Amino acid sequence: MSGADASGNHLRSDVRGEAAPAEDAAAEDTPAGIFPGEGAMAKDAPAGDLPTGGALAGNTSAEGAPAGGAPAQSTSAGDAPAEGAPAGGAPAPGALAESAAAAQLLRTAARELSEIGVAIQEASVHATAALTDGTVLGALPYAPAEGYRAQRALLRVVTDRRGLGYAVAGGRLGALAARLGGMAGAESLAVLVLATSLRLRITAVALDHPELVDDPLLARLIGAVGADRDIESVRALRALLRDRGAVRTLSELAPVFGEVLALRALLDENPLNDTAAWLIATGKGYASADPIIGMSNRAVAVLDTGEGGARRLEPAPAEVTRLSSEGSLLGFLRNIGALGTTGRVLIQSVAGPDGVVRHVVQAPGMRSGRPDNGSPQDLLGAFSSAVLDSGPYSRALIKAVDDFGIPPGGEIALVGHSAGGAAIMNLAQDPEFCARYTVTHAVAVGSPVDFKKPADPRTWIASVTNQHDIIPTLDGQGAGGCFDLHPGWYVVDYSDPTHLFPICHSIERYTANLAHDLPEARDRIDRQLTPYRGPVTRSQAYLLSDRDPHPEGFPFLTVPTYPAATSRGTLELPVRCQDGSALTAYFAADPGVAAALLEGTGLGPAVQIAGRALVAVHAFWNRRTSLGGYREVHLGIVVHDPWRPRPFRVWPDLVRRADRRRSGSFLVGSVVDTDTVSAVAPEIWGCEPSVVPLDVAVTARSARVVVGGPDSRLLAFRGPLGPGIPAGAWDLVGYSRREGATLRSCVETRGRGRAHPAPRARLTVGQAAHPMARHLRELGLDGARPLLCLSTVAHQTLRAAAVPMRIT
Amino acid sequence: MPAVPQAITAHAKVLRSDARVLAECAERLREIGARLDGDGVAPEWLLETVNAHIAACTAASADLAEAATRLHVYADRVRR
Repeated sequence: MSGADASGNHLRSDVRGEAAPAEDAAAEDTPAGIFPGEGAMAKDAPAGDLPTGGALAGNTSAEGAPAGGAPAQSTSAGDAPAEGAPAGGAPAPGALAESAAAAQLLRTAARELSEIGVAIQEASVHATAALTDGTVLGALPYAPAEGYRAQRALLRVVTDRRGLGYAVAGGRLGALAARLGGMAGAESLAVLVLATSLRLRITAVALDHPELVDDPLLARLIGAVGADRDIESVRALRALLRDRGAVRTLSELAPVFGEVLALRALLDENPLNDTAAWLIATGKGYASADPIIGMSNRAVAVLDTGEGGARRLEPAPAEVTRLSSEGSLLGFLRNIGALGTTGRVLIQSVAGPDGVVRHVVQAPGMRSGRPDNGSPQDLLGAFSSAVLDSGPYSRALIKAVDDFGIPPGGEIALVGHSAGGAAIMNLAQDPEFCARYTVTHAVAVGSPVDFKKPADPRTWIASVTNQHDIIPTLDGQGAGGCFDLHPGWYVVDYSDPTHLFPICHSIERYTANLAHDLPEARDRIDRQLTPYRGPVTRSQAYLLSDRDPHPEGFPFLTVPTYPAATSRGTLELPVRCQDGSALTAYFAADPGVAAALLEGTGLGPAVQIAGRALVAVHAFWNRRTSLGGYREVHLGIVVHDPWRPRPFRVWPDLVRRADRRRSGSFLVGSVVDTDTVSAVAPEIWGCEPSVVPLDVAVTARSARVVVGGPDSRLLAFRGPLGPGIPAGAWDLVGYSRREGATLRSCVETRGRGRAHPAPRARLTVGQAAHPMARHLRELGLDGARPLLCLSTVAHQTLRAAAVPMRIT
Repeated sequence: MPAVPQAITAHAKVLRSDARVLAECAERLREIGARLDGDGVAPEWLLETVNAHIAACTAASADLAEAATRLHVYADRVRR
């Protein structure tokens, strides 16, 4: 693998896995910018195990790649001058190749040591089984002397410090005794050999990352951990954190993060993390617990529950323009970047070069926010996707794919970043999913997928990881891995100069690395994705959830509906608004004018405050309703209970739910911004709104309500709302007149609102002849500041038809 | 009762085999140390550590062989 970033900094990468096609091999030997030795190391080594002797010598292919499939090849790469001289202080190619070969030898030795550790542990288990076997003990009365000597010899086997060490292991008794021994700091030979294996792995990584040993603070920590000096380890870690901060410390340790944690876990006195350390050290499986305190990963992962849900969603127009219109690795990764960590995934159909339409599932990583937030892309979802074979994320993905309408047997490529990579691998290893569809490719970027196993062996897998990215190492295997965990996969494990996590984990960084620094890896993956390289014929985004989402508006908007005939056809009532916002501003107005406006209505008097009439401006932006989206603004005189005016009890009544409220706003002027609503409003609600341009924008801090166009401005209310007291959204009760009758209509509201007792926004009234503007001027509200504002940024509303009232 | 000596003998056989495995482990460790040393890639601390492991494997092998022998004797005695 070769490549250099713009600054001339060299990238290091390991590429291992599937065999390189012959033409690739030939091509990779020739281009300028590839070190002589690197061509060999960059070859995708054929899958397979190393000879047990671990010798690489003599097993090189014509391209120089080790035959037999070295599980990990480490190399450095970069654009070198044609003559091969190192540029910009880059290491000499020969030195790099030498260092890569040395690292490979160390990894091979580490793997052998791990095998030896496992063999020693098995012997310990056998000896413990013999020692604790009831049959052996039960025969003591028949041969007490010989039995005693045998037992003493067995006891010696599992306790001899010069031999197996404290090696009680296996079975319930053995496990308990092993834990007690661990707490006492007694170590077994198997553990010590595994520790040596881990130290060799760290040494191998340090050849690629000399900063690990050159940096005194890092070296101090790694040395203390390796030497089982607990207090010194803690001190070294503290010094590192103090000097570098948590982010840099994690980033710098990332290449050996798993090894350091496993080493510490093996040697510390905490028995709970031993299994996880063992799994990391032997590569036998996913780290079952965190290697620090030993908390079970599985126990955490099962907290992520849900059958998974997926709802179609249209991306914003700006996002649509960022989506790739051609299938390619970079295009898919950029799509994932465009989606962001917003809980969404993208499925695209691509017409391949052969004309066949195939489909690509693109899954982003973890969504930031609360650890468990209803989206399967939360922290728990990331955890369960990595640890479990199936989680809400992968189940939600399956629902999205099913909904997309891919025919049975249809070909699918899966591309995922971070937790999305783990989730798509869960799809690839789901036998039922793979029976319904043909998963041809899975590309995981920056994901912990080392222990995932595709259900269909024909699925082509690629894993791309940055060695300073901690996330891919969460399964316990990172840059120091010495096991050939997935022969046949195409693995790109590289390092770039951006050591900082989480920057190096971002999809943008991975995309940039593949675009500019890892051209061969990109080309290789793109070649494999050739059937998916063509014009995108369809794109559909999905919003994923842990569970199937409720029907929109449930339960508030789940109400009986009935048809109502209007001049614009039959409407469904009540009118239901799924998403809207509102502002009510209360003013103190001229009481004489208010009384005049109420005259003859049977309503009144107006509610008064300090001798002034209370007047309200109600503004709504109904973004999505059963009547379509529209805005409306009303001017109302706040009136008492039509039958029993109560000057003092009106105030609590004004904040009651609509179905219990007697007071309300007598609407003396209304405007809307759609013809349909203007036409049906008199028939349904009694008010007679005119159509004017409207702008209603409400946030938790400010509001902007502009009625009328620039040349015919009715009113403008804008400015900060001041401090807000959280409260529920407020219902609205409106009174209106139609054909001599008084009508009462209600707007029932659900949502979170705020009361602003000291608003600083101001109302300005235009000179238009419209009744609303005229009334406002007469009421003396031009330039007025409201007494109180009530705002809701997002709410749902229900509006039934107005009801006529007989007021005597 | 015949099952008891058989069970003890089975343990003995397993331990005997493990003694051989541990001896092989010692040999593999020796090869690893020699190989890394020969290639000049052995870290400073490695040889001492590997030698300690070799010694431990050799001692463990002897312990296991001894235990296997004791178990055989025990089983023979129980059989009689």
